[in-house]
Amino acid sequence: MLRWFARRLLLAVPVVLGVVTISFILMHLAPGDPARSALGEKADPAAVAALRHQWGLDKTLPAQYVSYLNQLLHGDLGTSLYYHTSITTLMAQRLPVTLALIVMSAVLASLISIPLASRSASRPNGATSFVIRLFNAVIQGSPTFFVGSMLILFLGVRVAIFPAGGYPSGFGARAWALVLPALTIALSIVPLLVRGLRAAMIESLGSEYVAFARSKGLPESPIRHRYVLRNAGISGVSILGIQVGALASGALVIEQVFAIPGMGSMLMTGILNRDYAVVQACTLMFGLVVVVVYLVTDLVYARLDPRARLS
Amino acid sequence: MTRTKTLRGAVVVVAATALAACSSSSGGTSTSGGSPTSGGSLVMARADEATSLLPSVPTDNASIWIIEELYDTLTTPAQDGKGVTPSLATSWKQSADKLSWTFHMRTDAKFTNGQPVTSADVVFSIKQNQKADAPFSFIDSVVTKMDTPDAHTVVFHTKEPWAPLPADMALYANSIVPKNYAGMSASAFASSPIGSGPFKFKNWTKGSSLTIVKNAKYWKKGTPRLDSVEFTVVPDSNTRSTQLASGQIGINEYPANSSIKSLQNQPNISVNTFPSSEVDYLGMNTRRKPLSDLNVRKAISQAIDKDAILKAVLYGYGKVANAYLSPTTWAHDSSLKANTYDVAAAKATLAKSSVPHGFSTTITIPSGDQNSSSEAQLVQSDLAKIGINVTIKTLDPAALVTAKHAGNFDMAFGLYTTDIVDPDEIARFAGTYDGGVQTLYSGFKSAQMDKLAATASRASDQSTRKAAYDQMQQIMANNVPYVTLFYVPGVYSYSKKVHGFQPGATGNYFLEKVWMSK
Repeated sequence: MLRWFARRLLLAVPVVLGVVTISFILMHLAPGDPARSALGEKADPAAVAALRHQWGLDKTLPAQYVSYLNQLLHGDLGTSLYYHTSITTLMAQRLPVTLALIVMSAVLASLISIPLASRSASRPNGATSFVIRLFNAVIQGSPTFFVGSMLILFLGVRVAIFPAGGYPSGFGARAWALVLPALTIALSIVPLLVRGLRAAMIESLGSEYVAFARSKGLPESPIRHRYVLRNAGISGVSILGIQVGALASGALVIEQVFAIPGMGSMLMTGILNRDYAVVQACTLMFGLVVVVVYLVTDLVYARLDPRARLS
Repeated sequence: MTRTKTLRGAVVVVAATALAACSSSSGGTSTSGGSPTSGGSLVMARADEATSLLPSVPTDNASIWIIEELYDTLTTPAQDGKGVTPSLATSWKQSADKLSWTFHMRTDAKFTNGQPVTSADVVFSIKQNQKADAPFSFIDSVVTKMDTPDAHTVVFHTKEPWAPLPADMALYANSIVPKNYAGMSASAFASSPIGSGPFKFKNWTKGSSLTIVKNAKYWKKGTPRLDSVEFTVVPDSNTRSTQLASGQIGINEYPANSSIKSLQNQPNISVNTFPSSEVDYLGMNTRRKPLSDLNVRKAISQAIDKDAILKAVLYGYGKVANAYLSPTTWAHDSSLKANTYDVAAAKATLAKSSVPHGFSTTITIPSGDQNSSSEAQLVQSDLAKIGINVTIKTLDPAALVTAKHAGNFDMAFGLYTTDIVDPDEIARFAGTYDGGVQTLYSGFKSAQMDKLAATASRASDQSTRKAAYDQMQQIMANNVPYVTLFYVPGVYSYSKKVHGFQPGATGNYFLEKVWMSK
């Protein structure tokens, strides 16, 4: 177990290094000048050149790459050229918000998908199952920004239970403000989860161990929870794990719609203004999140399925 | 100043219309609200976040318009943009030899740390904006020396006679900060700024909101009326609209044009446009063939149906432009004869050119900008009528800026605004090769334009200046290095509880005049 974990961690190093290198190269090869962005269209070319020099952008690309890596190794994410602030400070404010959003979406997605899937699997051709499949199709066909706007309109303005976007102060108010955006992101992966879980449950319901449990005279409910859901859950966990990347990119769009000050809006501003260090730091963080989640998924998978040995 | 078009919200414009259409109707845009009362907290939602509150650093409007609430300048732009009014300076005068300006300052102004505002603070502040890497250093480059005969008098010595100086002193980048940043480092000062303006800084949660509170000791007695103003960052224009409808915010900056009509139908919301100095244009690269041919450029300007684009894309919010100086400046020439829309004339002009049977060219637009995309398609179909085949190319916004600077484009849209109320800055920036970006990237060069700009800034008599600016506008209309498209106003929607909100032509909010009814 420990050796397995160490090996996985070691394997994550080249992945993270790859993410850092590729984002560095792509960002610097894309045309656009952060100094010009910061100083505006009217500034003298001399002022732009002075700022480029101050930021070290007049050095060669390999030299910039080496100094960037050196910085990273010292735990310094650099300074935002646009916000004139250390990225570590920005990240400390933004990362927890996005992480909370992703975790909440994953929880909501599971809470919605499991009952829907088991309901649908119990009578695969019934009317309820049809309605659930229709719901799935509609949700999957609607872009997240549209779903988000509609949720704001109905639950934020019409019924006014939730704030219509924004991020107030205070823990409770903030958690409450994250519900609608988390729900929007959750809905984007619900169709996939329901479909996967449903198929796995139907398969499991028809399996010999379920037939055996039934013939033993066990009631339906423990059969479902102890046998069917647990076995189907294995596929659910792997779908959810793989979808974390999608949740993260969903957060990127949805943070804009709901005015949530997470990494999404920071990354967006960073890209538009060629704020190299911000984009690289955000990519690095998203990369780390995905790597960690894959690791956790494997752990959970092994816990649920003893056949998947951690060696 | 830079103005980011609402790129990020572009995808949801359709949803915005759908949502707003769901609202009930009645009401109008009346703004009467009885006599002004004090108190209240205003929340204003804006698309972009401020980048820095250090006056000499930022160029984005989100920062500039907050800076103007925190600090004072020697002079202030008049609401209509036609001149400046006293602020920290009560009077100013140019010397007899025209080579210096003397400003007399008020004695009752204090910074929020209690320190009086003195001439030494002015000298320090202007020097910050003269530093090499300051974006607006070019505005103050004419000032060679500053003297402080006493604590409340400043003398600016200029390289040459310089009429625009009082207007230059109203620029946000020339805001007055305490000398030596009151003993703080620049970055420490930026995170807890001290000014003498109507509001003082309270806190800033990056990415989310920035709050300023009433400066109870503001020298203009009786103002401000509001207790506090919170600026929130809400990138999506649709979300800003729904927040206004739900009462969560008081002012929505830049509602999507497509949503304005339905916003106007909501009972508790006002929508108003304010004259702004923004001019939208279609730029042409005159270094490239056949755009180097005057007849080709003229034909293009005659073939574009600006009225139709204004209606379709800007929903009528704006005016068709002719003279390159906007109507918000006194130098604007409303009688200018410009190339008007006339397809037959456009064909005739093209027939006289080097490419009588038409040619192929491109328009490059920034990705994600819905308005530019629609405008480009309309221009494409207009130009097809006279035999010009236009391909629309899309480029990432930052990459497009680089391409424009490098002269790597045929045609591209753009906009310009002025930062000072004197016509000097924008007349040079948009009309001369060395006054900014090679005449808005067109590469158009005219020694006569340079001479006229110099005449206008050296002369202190208004009629001489106006005559020079009129001539400059005519030269631009004759040479068409770019097609001026529209004069675009600033648009705000706000709760009917908000009164007295009237931004100036350079965008200043003038929040000290705003009050809220219960």
